[in-house]
Amino acid sequence: MPVTRILHPIYQLGNPQLRIFRPNWFLTLVRPGREQPPDTVQFRIPMDMTKCDVKNYLEKIYNVPVGVVRTRIQFGSNKKRNHLNQKVKKPDYKVAYIQLAQGQTFTFPDIFPEKDRTPEEGSMEEMQEKFMEDEKQRQKGDPRRGGVTEWFGL
Amino acid sequence: MAASSSLGRVFTLCRQFQNVLRLSVSKIQNPTVNSNKWPSHLFRENTVLVQSFWSSPIQSVAQCRALHTTISRRGLDEFFDAPENWGETTVKSGAPWTAKQLRTKSSEDLHKLWYVLLKEKNMLLTLEQESKRQRVSMPSPERLRKIERSMIRLETVVNERETALRLLQTGQEKGRPGDWRRNIFGYVYWYRFKEHPIPWYMNRRYKRRRFYTPSFVQPHIRLRIEKILREKARKKNQRKESMEKLQEKFPTMKVPAS
Repeated sequence: MPVTRILHPIYQLGNPQLRIFRPNWFLTLVRPGREQPPDTVQFRIPMDMTKCDVKNYLEKIYNVPVGVVRTRIQFGSNKKRNHLNQKVKKPDYKVAYIQLAQGQTFTFPDIFPEKDRTPEEGSMEEMQEKFMEDEKQRQKGDPRRGGVTEWFGL
Repeated sequence: MAASSSLGRVFTLCRQFQNVLRLSVSKIQNPTVNSNKWPSHLFRENTVLVQSFWSSPIQSVAQCRALHTTISRRGLDEFFDAPENWGETTVKSGAPWTAKQLRTKSSEDLHKLWYVLLKEKNMLLTLEQESKRQRVSMPSPERLRKIERSMIRLETVVNERETALRLLQTGQEKGRPGDWRRNIFGYVYWYRFKEHPIPWYMNRRYKRRRFYTPSFVQPHIRLRIEKILREKARKKNQRKESMEKLQEKFPTMKVPAS
């Protein structure tokens, strides 16, 4: 990822405060595991992001009215063992629960809906599928033998 | 075009941008040319906005506030792909931005492009996580890599510009000042300066650090150099001997150059 380690000047009381150009924080909107209130959105956020950062990020970049932000750190499991019987740690991550302001609600949409995929008439895919079906039929063998292998018998 | 992904659209912006440039040149000559050439229903809202501010580079100074934001009223829906791409197995996308293309853009445009890429990456990460959760393959996972590459390139281009400006203004090559120092073991290294809230003579921790080599270390430095040299010589000899042995065994063998 973009690897510019920016050295911020040390904190001074008063304005103007630090500004971030080109933030390299990436949020992941996830489907909540436990059921949440309708106005709550769950995010996975980078570890070094704070509640204020999340609020500013969503308000300034995405134009989403944010009410309250709650965060916690999810411990990544280290129960798994590799082939040398060493513990393998999954990385920790921070989870943010964001309550939307102004009475907005959010439900996670179904982004993998079932779509009928019938290939077009005379297309390459259709021919391929037909060919595969024919091949399968041929591999099946004689149904009268009742599943007895070819090499058995006279 | 309508079926192509938002990423594809983001990347096709490049081509559009070039078209816009061409158009804007013609606009100067002939102001009656309609700059909004592309049907807006093909693009998502943010794309349209991006396009609209790019299509008016002449008035960019006057509309700075309006240009600055890539507002879209879609809000949290921007974390998801366009609804027509839901459930597809593959989504079309263009090539990542090259550094050459990015160098032709103004800094302001790069700044905006960063946010376009950022949103796209957030969208892809969301898609990836959801596909992992539902245990289906992610549609066109190569898009993530493409976005990453263009972001790295954008970063390098911006860094280049910063360095050039700094060299002009201050003559410093590095953004963070520093200087060559030696530690007590005689090693010389690049010490990068850091901002401190108090002056150095009040800083007890800083004063504890030793940026000099005491004279009693000199013999040890000599020994260290000797050790390195001996090791080098030993390796060279070993190699030579093994080559000689091989020559004895296989007289017709070719001797490598080094």
